[in-house]
Amino acid sequence: MRSDSKLYKFLNKEKSAGVIFCLPFIIGFIAFLIVPMGISLYYSFCDYDILSPPEFIGLDNYIKMFTGDEVFWRSFKATLYFALVSVPLRLVFALIVAMILVKPTKLTGFYRAAYYLPSIIGGSVAVAVLWKRMFAPDGVVNALLGVIGIDTKFAWLGSTKTAIWTLIILAVWQFGSSMLIFLSALKQIPKDLYEAAEVDGAGKVTKFFRVTLPLLTPTIFFNLVMQMINGFLAFTQSLIITQGKPMDSTLFYAVYMYQQSFNYNSAGYASAMAWTMLLFIGLLTLILFKTKRFWVYDQE
Amino acid sequence: MENFEKDKEEEKLKSRKVKRMLALAVTGAVCVSALGACGSSSDSGKSESTESSDSGESSGGYGDLVMAWWGNQVRNEKTQEALDKYKELNGVSVEGQFYQWNDYWSKMATAAAGNSMPDLIQMDYSYIEQYVDNGQLLDLTPYMESGALDVSNIPENVLAMGEVGDGNYGIAAGVSGNCLFYNKTVTDELGITMTDNMSFDEFVEIAKQITEETGYRANVLSQNNYFTEWSRAEGIPIVEAKLPVASADEYTPFYQIMEDSIKDGWQLTPDYIDTTAVETDPLVYGSSPETMAWCTINGTSNQLTAFQSAAPEGTEIAVTTIPTTDTITSNYLKPALYFSISADTEDPDAAVALLDYLINSEDANGILLGERGVPASTSIADYIYDLVSETEQKSFAYVTDVITPNCSPINPPDPTGMSELTDTMKKVAEKIGYGEATAAEAAQEVYDKGIELWGE
Repeated sequence: MRSDSKLYKFLNKEKSAGVIFCLPFIIGFIAFLIVPMGISLYYSFCDYDILSPPEFIGLDNYIKMFTGDEVFWRSFKATLYFALVSVPLRLVFALIVAMILVKPTKLTGFYRAAYYLPSIIGGSVAVAVLWKRMFAPDGVVNALLGVIGIDTKFAWLGSTKTAIWTLIILAVWQFGSSMLIFLSALKQIPKDLYEAAEVDGAGKVTKFFRVTLPLLTPTIFFNLVMQMINGFLAFTQSLIITQGKPMDSTLFYAVYMYQQSFNYNSAGYASAMAWTMLLFIGLLTLILFKTKRFWVYDQE
Repeated sequence: MENFEKDKEEEKLKSRKVKRMLALAVTGAVCVSALGACGSSSDSGKSESTESSDSGESSGGYGDLVMAWWGNQVRNEKTQEALDKYKELNGVSVEGQFYQWNDYWSKMATAAAGNSMPDLIQMDYSYIEQYVDNGQLLDLTPYMESGALDVSNIPENVLAMGEVGDGNYGIAAGVSGNCLFYNKTVTDELGITMTDNMSFDEFVEIAKQITEETGYRANVLSQNNYFTEWSRAEGIPIVEAKLPVASADEYTPFYQIMEDSIKDGWQLTPDYIDTTAVETDPLVYGSSPETMAWCTINGTSNQLTAFQSAAPEGTEIAVTTIPTTDTITSNYLKPALYFSISADTEDPDAAVALLDYLINSEDANGILLGERGVPASTSIADYIYDLVSETEQKSFAYVTDVITPNCSPINPPDPTGMSELTDTMKKVAEKIGYGEATAAEAAQEVYDKGIELWGE
């Protein structure tokens, strides 16, 4: 190639090199994210049954969702309850375990890996099936209760009061990734701060609340935002363990969306649900960011 | 390089506010991609052995085929074996894809949208009309006329089951009937004989006695088959003219039966019911009488084999008619399911040849052994009768000796939207089971859903 050709010049520009190297991602991002999202936005204004071409109906899907669909509200409430309960619980749990594991001993590496494991396998279908069997009337949970003298055939998944808690416990059990983030944050807290606090006569509890916790708030904030988003999109557990039963008390938003789309062939309505959830999560994230200055300690 | 440095300088100068905005944007993007990931992961979860419906046409002429079905463990194994045999005999390899009922229809809907349906698909009475209306199925009439698909041994009334509009879109893979499965070991121990065409009142007496003496309860509530049978006996249409009935009151007596059954204690409560698969049905799954059912209405009579093989050692499962006030009116023969050919198939002739093999070949049916119901072809039905297990002979006899002489014609195929009404009916039955709704409220909810779906 001649060194004065236009193409040569173009390729040797700083910017074009960058763009070309980014191209695989950019193409993927556009083709598999932006375009499908655009299509789904269009479908959300359509009556679309997957099999025949979409038919534009304006805001009807959204109107039906907010005014005429009880199941929508039930699924929204169930999801909200699940996310608001399981996320804080999981963070507290992750922080406690991280505090214990931050002290280096010979087996720390092993324990960290062991506690991280549920995060990897916890979302899988196999664990969901296992969970279902554990909480069955003849399952392990009731057998263990039998050992300590409580003889019961209680169907944990069959009661509106307990079914959602089995899903919450499963979610809390998957605390590993938050724990790892807490661990690295804990290690970064400068030792001299603790020494200074000790000189001032601070005990363990005071040190935790006055030094550790304030310095962890940026990490807590990050975990909170990420886990909240994941919590609202929970799917597998509800689909496999409970199928939304009993009486829609565990019907998560994403599962109902899936049912609308693939069981009732109302893909237009499901798209509208997806966009509603997107806006809701966006709003929630915005609110969380607004509250940041009240409780997140900024080191800058 | 200077450009880069300059950019870096600028970056540093940006205020903290802008940084926050960026962070917000990133979070937004993450949540968007998470939303996208949710959709795609749900998909990949279902499709372990799939996505290959278009990889089939690689070799010329008789290309390889894909066949899809829903079912149970027994069916999956036998069908795969029959397909392997087909490859041995004809050199055409057929990839089998199997799912559970719900997953199957999700998968088919998406495949249909992408014009990539498997060549040969298992079809159901409740879906066939919808798929034909959308032009997703191949009309088999020309192939029957040309003789490529041999239907000479299939009785007229069975062949007619595949007719929708002017075409014929499915061959009944087996004929069966709705039925009540029961634990014969339990009834035998109590010296109770379950007679066919039993009336509902007789059934309730027996159900009460069994619950009292053994702790086992009956499970006739959770599936909608009982509603179908009941409404036929009482002459109340569910969906015939799309708009169900004149008023919700007509459904109330049905839900009253359910409400009473819970109050009287002979009906298994929904917290113990998981009928997603034959293997988890409380008739066969559980370890103590109080969590199990002694009888269930779930699926059609051809599933007897599946129930029997899922049952614990030493338990005999038997089959009888669903008790109603008028069993001759309520009973009907139905195609347990169809084999249909997708309109998307690249090689209709090869697909028809496979269909012909599944219906008419002694090789195939010697393996399948009527797991999908009594074979449509009478000569095949005769051929396999002596080969099948005692359990299957009973299931055959139920269709030919019990249902056939005492039945009425089947309802017209279900209209689009039926799956949503079905789900509502299941949820309503659940509410009754938990005592959260009265019979009148339940009837009203089902009626309202019918109006919402099909009302003017």
